[in-house]
Amino acid sequence: MKTNFEKKYLKWNFIFIGLLMTLFFTLIITITIGSVGPIGSGNPERIPMQAVWDILIGKSRLWPDSYKTIIMDIRLPRILLAALAGCALAVSGVVMQGIFRNPMADPFIIGLSSGAAVGASISILLGLSISIGIYSTPFLAFVGAGLTIFGVYFIARSRGKVRAETLLLTGIAIGSFLTAVTSFLMYVANEQFRFLFFWLLGGLYKASWNTVAIAFSLILLGVVIIQFFARDLNAMVLGEEPAMHLGIDTKSMKKILLIFSSLVTGTAVAFTGIIGFVGLITPHIMRILVGPNHRILLPASALTGAILLIWSDTIARTILSPTEIPVGIITAFCGAPFFVYLLQKSKKGKR
Amino acid sequence: MKMLLKIADLSFSYQSSKILDDVTLEVKSGESLGVMGPNGSGKTTLLRCISNVLSPRGTVLINGKDTKGQSKKEIAKKIGFVPQTSNIDFEFTVSELVLMGRTPHMGRFKSESIHDFEIVEKAMKLTNIQHLSERTFDELSGGEKQRVIIARALAQEPKILLLDEPTVHLDISCQLEILNLVKNLCEQERIIVISVFHDLNLASQYSDKLILLNRGRIFSEGFPDRVLTSENIRSIYQIEAIIKRHPITNVPFVIPFLYAKNDKKMKGPTVHVICGGGSGTPAMKLLLDNGLKVTCGVLDVLDSDFEAARNFKIPVIGEIPFSQITNESNKANIDLIKKADFVIITDFPVGPGNLKNIEAAEVALDFKIPVIIIESSPVYQRDFTQKNLEEYFKRLKEKGAIFVENLESALKEVLI
Repeated sequence: MKTNFEKKYLKWNFIFIGLLMTLFFTLIITITIGSVGPIGSGNPERIPMQAVWDILIGKSRLWPDSYKTIIMDIRLPRILLAALAGCALAVSGVVMQGIFRNPMADPFIIGLSSGAAVGASISILLGLSISIGIYSTPFLAFVGAGLTIFGVYFIARSRGKVRAETLLLTGIAIGSFLTAVTSFLMYVANEQFRFLFFWLLGGLYKASWNTVAIAFSLILLGVVIIQFFARDLNAMVLGEEPAMHLGIDTKSMKKILLIFSSLVTGTAVAFTGIIGFVGLITPHIMRILVGPNHRILLPASALTGAILLIWSDTIARTILSPTEIPVGIITAFCGAPFFVYLLQKSKKGKR
Repeated sequence: MKMLLKIADLSFSYQSSKILDDVTLEVKSGESLGVMGPNGSGKTTLLRCISNVLSPRGTVLINGKDTKGQSKKEIAKKIGFVPQTSNIDFEFTVSELVLMGRTPHMGRFKSESIHDFEIVEKAMKLTNIQHLSERTFDELSGGEKQRVIIARALAQEPKILLLDEPTVHLDISCQLEILNLVKNLCEQERIIVISVFHDLNLASQYSDKLILLNRGRIFSEGFPDRVLTSENIRSIYQIEAIIKRHPITNVPFVIPFLYAKNDKKMKGPTVHVICGGGSGTPAMKLLLDNGLKVTCGVLDVLDSDFEAARNFKIPVIGEIPFSQITNESNKANIDLIKKADFVIITDFPVGPGNLKNIEAAEVALDFKIPVIIIESSPVYQRDFTQKNLEEYFKRLKEKGAIFVENLESALKEVLI
């Protein structure tokens, strides 16, 4: 028995290290992709791998200054932010699907993202990040997300129980309501309309070392804490009452998990707008690849979410170069068909 | 280690309706308690209150320690729970699921120890699911699934195992297999087992003691003999029941039935049934179903017809086993016959002991009470009188007895 599990854990370690390496190479590769743009006219389209490497390890003197600016101040923060946001959305998706025992749950469908968007919109419109501080947008997004998820949860609850279908429908209803609120805010925003509009479509162009630092601290905190609840999430798969019979205080566990998924989702939404499908699809892919055990599912989804969003963003910023399209369009465009494919495949597998 | 589960004055209300009302009971280690009762009588609620999923009023003491002050984790180390069915949407393997039973014993920041794996292995061995270790849950059959869930509960190392109708969705062989498994665990591991049963006979066979719940209260409790009586079953379930003994295990065996017409006020004519050897039971049942009053006699008290008559609660004259009908019994029988509107003689074997019953039928004819004789087999085949029983029957025929072929025709004669 022990050896069986040891083998399994060894396999998990390999998966984790493999994904970590994939993430690293994704980072290195995507950083070379993209137009160099007007900064260095006449230069080649791509920055050579060697240049990237040299600049990253600090030997930037060998290459033009513009390369350093592009890599260190534009591309690297952007890619890191994409990684963080992808990680946040994927982990949040795993948590939602786990505690609501529903494979259709994700931060977007449950209304969490829309709630975060309302919070962030208010902050942006009132210019709070300038008047109060840089944390105010993620903070309001977190508050919006948190209020929404608890609101949805309590509205969907009847007789002390939350039925998954009711929860999803409530989430969809409240989500649409909040989207309407955001649209209204956008409508009255006037001069900031364009800004809000693009932000809501989802995009990573706002990345800076500042945003990366904030996102990194908040998302890492949330993801690490959520990881400590992997066993509780496993038990929740059996249902709320069986989890209680295994000694889990499901009430407080759900609260903690909802708070921290609101935190990570809120942070991601605050800096990147609404990016759909990453939170829904990543957990599904990983469940097929590594199995349902949250101890590996959570870290594997975190890394895969990061990888997926980095690539999506790379496509978003290069496909119509020199203009870029919102990354939310790419994730939905690739994600939706892929999801349908998965659904079909798993249906066939069941037969 | 000796264990004692003591439940005192347990009450639970949902909104304004009381679901459990002052339940008090005690179970020792190595003892199995069966919980029975109609739907909505509070069986499952009782289990959920014991496992502290619900917070009832009253106390649940495990070895004198109240569960109320204890954390969910502490309680989960003592109480395992097996539900009716388990749905698991995600593809966990059997060994992963059983390992989840160790959750209450593990710290949040710690991984499994060798001890944990040993416990898991033992639990899988006890439930005989080692060969399924790497299979996923939804590939398993219903019985296998339930064994996995029991193994998971055992991995908690519980002192008390609660089972909520654990076999209700299984076929009969799986039912017995699971219940045997639980019984063995109870005896060998000395754990307390409390199971909810719908099937009274499974409850009787697999429990040391029983409680019968009705509207949240304990209606009857104790050994199966005491709890499973036709009176108790009638008042709780509103059905009739004959209680026999299980021919192999000797525990009470319940044969439930229901009168076809639920007309308790039997206003129709009275029929006296002369019978024996089990031939009278269907006759009594059919007559009662049709709302008739029935009397019966004289019967050997060991005869199953006698027992049936007692169960049906109809007047019956009994006689000491294997002896001739005494004059007193005969007189009492004739008194019953005189009060009857009809007499039915079933086709039972007649010997010197009960020949007086046939003579009594002649008296009935003398009093102008119609006698209906069921003759589905020839008389000589069941003539053990060493006289000529056919002569007796011929005489009855001359005096106007009606001969019919079967019970249904006899009933028609009565109802005309």
